[in-house]
Amino acid sequence: MKPQRNPSEERLLAYAAGTLSPPEAVVMAAHLAMRPANDAWVRDLQAVGGEFLDEATPSALSHDALALAMARIETDAGEVKALAPLNDMPELPEPLRRYALSPWRWIGPGMRVRDVHAPRDGDCRVILLKIESGRETPKHTHGGIELTCVISGAYATETERFDVGDFEEADTEVLHQPRVVSDEACLCVVALDGQIQLDGWIGKLIQPFVRL
Amino acid sequence: MHVETLPFTSNPCRSPRMKTLDNPSDPLLHDRLIEAIALRRDREAFAALFAYFAPRLKAWLIKSGATPGAAEDFAQDAMLTVWRKADLFDSSKARAATWIFTIARNRRLDMLRRDARPLPTPEIELAGEDVRRPDELLSMSQDADRVRDALSRLSPDHVEVLRLAFFMDSSHSEIAKHLDLPLGTVKSRIRNAMTKLRLILAPSEEAAR
Repeated sequence: MKPQRNPSEERLLAYAAGTLSPPEAVVMAAHLAMRPANDAWVRDLQAVGGEFLDEATPSALSHDALALAMARIETDAGEVKALAPLNDMPELPEPLRRYALSPWRWIGPGMRVRDVHAPRDGDCRVILLKIESGRETPKHTHGGIELTCVISGAYATETERFDVGDFEEADTEVLHQPRVVSDEACLCVVALDGQIQLDGWIGKLIQPFVRL
Repeated sequence: MHVETLPFTSNPCRSPRMKTLDNPSDPLLHDRLIEAIALRRDREAFAALFAYFAPRLKAWLIKSGATPGAAEDFAQDAMLTVWRKADLFDSSKARAATWIFTIARNRRLDMLRRDARPLPTPEIELAGEDVRRPDELLSMSQDADRVRDALSRLSPDHVEVLRLAFFMDSSHSEIAKHLDLPLGTVKSRIRNAMTKLRLILAPSEEAAR
């Protein structure tokens, strides 16, 4: 059995606690939909959160807080929200299906990208990246943390292989040149923070044209 | 509105604890309160639940750096969501505290969203239906007692650092400052606490990792 690449415990904890940034939470939600064991662990962590909430030392409320709450429920008309339509990619895990997607953009030979219209957090945003079999991305480092979950296919970095459902965390330390090692194209959902810095003179040359 | 005398004991056979609020932290009681809201839109039940959880939600947000005013608004909003979604509560799946924690956790993500850029598509939910936003969590651990028991077996240091990770913002450097410990110590303490918790809760999963 191949070893699974899982999120770090810190990131699972942050997801359970609701402190991951929204784009990171989207990639994590996709991963958990594909890894039931991690999903169960996150649920346990949420029960830990519930336990802590229960034990918390209460903070006194303002004197009219209860009256205000009762008035709000009396006049509450529920939430007026409509369900977002499913997007056009049934191959995506369920948590990604209701985000709108931009058209595919060509960003290099055998490489295409779509924006996922999930909430951004400053520079951090969510994209879908599709790379054809045998292709590798230009060598790059990151301006910030990059979280990736493999939806189909597989890729390998210099040291590790990532298969369906696997989760990779790359930060500014990592010089990254993933190569697709599956026969089919590799589709990933990525939370990208900061600008990608392409390495080498060709990379520097095309950097201005690569809008990730 | 007198929280102490609850008339919602129309089904007293369920539990003798229903009759009074002498033990307001009784988790079974909280489950029944949420069910009373779901079944009968029971306002007294909501008031009792509010009296218990709103001050705790406020405390949580203050710890994570919110002003008291913002923290109280947050508690109000989270409790309104509890009122709206009470019919989605399933006591066989989660304790009341875990469910309310999760609702609050989702609201917290919403607040982060509001600071982010406006969305190209509107944000979304059908009233009264179990429509989960993609990154929202509503279903939970089957067995909360297991978790409570596991926590009781961790060292006080480990419990403290986990609590801070939940209730302060995720930045470990803030936790380090709070505990007056080096960042590396805090990071490894969190990691050790998680490992320990995993070993107690899911030994087989741990082996598979």
